[in-house]
Amino acid sequence: MPGISVIIATRNRCALLPRAVESARRAATDVEIVIVDDASDDQTAEVCARWSNLQCVRYVRAQRRLGLGGARNVGLISSTAPYVTFLDDDDIRLPDSLDRQVALLDADTRAGMIYARAFYGDEDCRPTDDFYPEFCPEGDVFWQILVQNFIPCPTVVLRRACLARVGLLEEDAPGIEDWDLWVRMCELFPVLALEEPVAIWRQPTDDSDQFTSRSERLRRLARRLHRDKWLKLPRVVQAGPARRRQIAKAFARRAAQEMVWQSAASLKNKQLREFTRVAFASARLHPIGTSKIILSETLASLQE
Amino acid sequence: MARVSLIIPTFSRPHLLPRAVESAVRAGRDVEVIVVDDASSDQTASVCASLRDIKYVRVDRNQGVAGARNIGVLASTSEFIAFLDDDDLRLPASLEHQLSLFNEMPEAGFVAGGVLLADQDCAPNGKAAVVRPQRGDLFWPILELSVHLIPGSVVVRKSCFRAVGLFNKRLAGIDDWDMWVRIAELYPVLVDQQPVCVYRCATPASAQGSSALARHLHSAVKHQRRLLSLPRAKSEPYWRRRAVRRKTKRRIADTLTWRAAEELPHGAWQFAASNFVTSVRLSPMWALRPTHVRVLCQSFSNQKKLSRPDARD
Repeated sequence: MPGISVIIATRNRCALLPRAVESARRAATDVEIVIVDDASDDQTAEVCARWSNLQCVRYVRAQRRLGLGGARNVGLISSTAPYVTFLDDDDIRLPDSLDRQVALLDADTRAGMIYARAFYGDEDCRPTDDFYPEFCPEGDVFWQILVQNFIPCPTVVLRRACLARVGLLEEDAPGIEDWDLWVRMCELFPVLALEEPVAIWRQPTDDSDQFTSRSERLRRLARRLHRDKWLKLPRVVQAGPARRRQIAKAFARRAAQEMVWQSAASLKNKQLREFTRVAFASARLHPIGTSKIILSETLASLQE
Repeated sequence: MARVSLIIPTFSRPHLLPRAVESAVRAGRDVEVIVVDDASSDQTASVCASLRDIKYVRVDRNQGVAGARNIGVLASTSEFIAFLDDDDLRLPASLEHQLSLFNEMPEAGFVAGGVLLADQDCAPNGKAAVVRPQRGDLFWPILELSVHLIPGSVVVRKSCFRAVGLFNKRLAGIDDWDMWVRIAELYPVLVDQQPVCVYRCATPASAQGSSALARHLHSAVKHQRRLLSLPRAKSEPYWRRRAVRRKTKRRIADTLTWRAAEELPHGAWQFAASNFVTSVRLSPMWALRPTHVRVLCQSFSNQKKLSRPDARD
């Protein structure tokens, strides 16, 4: 039986897929790769045929579009190894990185998952000097993950038994299904961290870097999940209303802060339209957090 | 490796579970029984520890039936998957029979069987859900709800889940129907009439999931609109889809009225009222037809006749 399953959900990216698969093959000695083709319309099936004689690569085709969460769930039921990791079709795993992470998880049987740093990659997935996250907290990070998602998805290795105890990926949270899973995992299990980069995380190109309707939708979705689901998890309820309020505030503040920074950056670049869009979205989604940040910034500049 | 996995999702019913598990173990020779404990807070875990020949999977946060079934699929290792609710029963050797049907029709996505209806103690009451044996492409009949399938009677090929995805957690109570439609869209299916399971019929007071009949059927009608946007349905002309909608609404109005009339003499006021309101909302012209109103009035007057002797006592 293989030691780790790498689940690669892909849709209409047959040009990028081979790079991801080859990197996954080099990342661990005893690996099982499950490619879930989410009803692609391009040559993904033909591209995947080149691995058909390999025991370790398995091609699963979904006939109907399932979305990222649904496709990863299909990958989960099609794989067998005790450890699981999700790799996007445009990202890269660094050589031997999975083996190191699995060894750490083997050593600590209580931990549910391990994450690590990821290099930001450019459009061709060449690593830049930047990596994420800067700080890698370990152990019980439940309250931190409720405020901000600092865990890059391609770096995580999950224990299958723990995953089964918190439930599969949410299919109704497109874009933040990974964050939702981390929250549910961290509620019950301590996590480990490896303070070195294990993957290259391809960043979207310039035109999608802007504050599009998609990113506003993600922020709105995160706000809804945070309020309606995460803050109603048993552990938050047990901690009492004071803690709950504190977390809700911290979450709003963090989200508003990110958006205010973004709008400030676009103002600096003289992109007025972009600036108004982000500013309005920020004020609309997190009015209190935004006004607090603006007030404190104004006060600070007045004091100077 | 077992040939078929039987998944029993359970939530806080330790008194009913052993009976279901026992029937499941006897349902086939080469069967892997998986009990998914959906975060029950009672003695379900200790009851399961005393059961032999099962694979016990515990979920720590409640997932709902659909989520628990998904976890069962995740834990299963066989090629075929059957489901059983924790209050229903599987008939002896029924899985063997259904697997032999798969040999007959190897391309089938799932095989469904007949169902014996039972009272609250799971003793068959002599009635059976009427199943007409059919095979082949049953997408439209299942979508129109004219073939009613109970999860306990179905054996699915696991590869179907890879093609169409897993159960939708958001559709409480109708997640199974949604799945059968999605499978039947792509695969031929086989419906057999030989009874394979015993279904414990819900009553308005039994607090089973299916007690909320009106709500479930209403959400089924709402969800049907999304199922009609599946590629196969979308390729059909508009009038066909509209005919499906109308047919389903009328059928559901019929069912609701009939069930209301059945339960009204037993004093299930609320149940009858919610059924009536829902059927009027779905299809006003149909639900207010003279025959429907007459059936309801008759059953209402029966109630008076029945309740009078009680009052005298």
